[in-house]
Amino acid sequence: MSLEIQNLHVRVEGADEILHGVDLRVEKGETHALMGPNGSGKSTLANTIMGNPSYEITEGGIFLNGEDLTEADPDERARAGIFMAFQYPATIPGVSVANFLRLAVNAGREEPIRVKEFGELLRKNMEMLKIDPQFNKRYLNEGFSGGEKKRAEILQLAMLRPEIAVLDETDSGLDIDALRIVSDGVNELRGPELGALIITHYTRILRYVRPEFVHIMLDGRIVRQGGPELADLLEAEGYEGIRAEVAASAG
Amino acid sequence: MPASASTNRFLEERRRAALEVYEREPVPTWRRSGFWTTSLKRLRLDELEPRRYEPLDSVQDLDPVVAEAIGEPDELGGLIVQRGASTVLCWLDPEVAEQGVVLSSLERAFEKRPEAVERWYMRRLSEGEGKFPAATAAFWTGGAFVWVPPEVAVEKPLQVVYLLDEPGVAQYAHTLGVVGELSQCRIREYDLAPDLDGQALHSGAFELYCRAGSQVRLAHFQDWGAGEVHDISTKRVEIARDAHCAWTPIHLGGHLTRQTLDIVTAESGSDMRHKGIYFTEGAEHLDLFTTDLKEQPHTNGDTVWKGALTGESRASYEGLIQIVRGAQESHTYLQTHSMLLSPRARTDAIPSLIVETDNVSASHGGTVGELDDELVFYMMTRGIPRSEAVRILVEGYFEEVVQALEDPSLEALVRRRIAAKLEAAEEQVVEFIAERG
Repeated sequence: MSLEIQNLHVRVEGADEILHGVDLRVEKGETHALMGPNGSGKSTLANTIMGNPSYEITEGGIFLNGEDLTEADPDERARAGIFMAFQYPATIPGVSVANFLRLAVNAGREEPIRVKEFGELLRKNMEMLKIDPQFNKRYLNEGFSGGEKKRAEILQLAMLRPEIAVLDETDSGLDIDALRIVSDGVNELRGPELGALIITHYTRILRYVRPEFVHIMLDGRIVRQGGPELADLLEAEGYEGIRAEVAASAG
Repeated sequence: MPASASTNRFLEERRRAALEVYEREPVPTWRRSGFWTTSLKRLRLDELEPRRYEPLDSVQDLDPVVAEAIGEPDELGGLIVQRGASTVLCWLDPEVAEQGVVLSSLERAFEKRPEAVERWYMRRLSEGEGKFPAATAAFWTGGAFVWVPPEVAVEKPLQVVYLLDEPGVAQYAHTLGVVGELSQCRIREYDLAPDLDGQALHSGAFELYCRAGSQVRLAHFQDWGAGEVHDISTKRVEIARDAHCAWTPIHLGGHLTRQTLDIVTAESGSDMRHKGIYFTEGAEHLDLFTTDLKEQPHTNGDTVWKGALTGESRASYEGLIQIVRGAQESHTYLQTHSMLLSPRARTDAIPSLIVETDNVSASHGGTVGELDDELVFYMMTRGIPRSEAVRILVEGYFEEVVQALEDPSLEALVRRRIAAKLEAAEEQVVEFIAERG
């Protein structure tokens, strides 16, 4: 059971190529970190995995458990078991958190979830993420603080239980307390049933959520892969240090 | 043209004055900057007549659009229905009548209580406003009179229905409402038609006076169906000292609509909330002009309009805030949003401001846009199919105004009708969103 990215080339419609052949494999039960500076292509990869129509795949493909999802619509990918926590989650006016979650949960089921079962699941997950129960009556992300938005993303992750979760800079803009709550939530959800790809600019979140695998992306390519020690190396040397090494070895 | 049923001399004078204006004025064309023109050149006015109908016993004897709109009978405080040119049904809950509330045709009110009616009739409307206001003032029949005495609270809504159920009919309609000092009530007016096969005209006047300290919730619900109904109406609400009116007009269908909607905070401490919806489809043409007029100091206002368009429909909203000299310490806000759900629909939203005094706060904003691709994408990443995502987003967009109705049965009706319209247009809307993505 795995998400497999093969030789992925991507451009934004009408613009230059951003990803120049990315290969990545995330097995269920594994936690991967994808690290890179601003503009390296991390968010492009996340959005392309999810099928954002603003990004165009010019070569390569995306497979889940061997099934080719390269051309699939975002909702098909979601129902197949891929989830993305957004860096900048959208505000959905007029739709409460609870209603939105019910719609999303039911989208992945044959029979709608029973009201009681849904209520219990929601309460349990909100408790885990230390979210005020009043929260679920508010319109999704409307007037939410940065930390509340990120918690709402992780709440959706907890409710939807995907096989593969891509967390796109979930740590950005969080203070230490919020980061700890979100990280605890992610750790709670880790396990043999979940493959996670944590996309981040900073090593900070990796102190709370320890990945087994670390990938470093520069200029639309994955240039280094390794274990958690790679994050420590990055912390010591910075992206410029890594970039210099890559240039030296290429030269 | 019909002779008036009334022999009231005051009224005869007003009708005569109106007839002069009517005969003098040409059929108007409304032009606005840019592409916008509202023209009546396809309206065959000569072929329409103010048709008369016999009284009926029950709502069940009317076209089903009425029963669907007005809700459960036990929720009603009162109901008056005008079909074509005739009042066909008038009913008032005995308990509400006991409170001193009057609900009758305006014709009957002129006969039974001329002094009260003459005092208020057309205080804020004028036959001089144009061809159709003059036509309405000259030719109205039936009509509705809503009278709430001082210091009563009427829980159940008082409802006025204008029904056009046959083509070839011209309906000249006039509603006069007066809510007494410190009273509370809800008033709903409906403009309804099934899908007519042919032309019809509704030329309407609506005036409501919310007297000092009163609290009024007013809703207009317009759904003229898919026939060629032309609606040219003027609606005006005056709010007196320390009174509050929440006015929610809902426009869900009409071949051609030109409406002037004015809300006058006329005395110090008066306060209004004006939130409206329109949803146009097919080849419909909607032209709305609202004015938020502040005449005295310490008056407040909050105006929000939300529209959506499918098909080849046209909708134009112009909203004016006018604060006259002397109305200091007034605070008001106007925003208008319009959402295009089809590549062939056209819309504009024009907020404007005339401030003739200082020490006020007034602001306005307008947006015209399409459904945000990023929102559709976001919902789809949660497994929700595109068509459902679009439906939820459009319904959510209107929700702020729907909830402003504060009226569960009417809210349910509006949600139902919006959902039905979206379903009817689903294929083209989804195609439009997907192609843009």
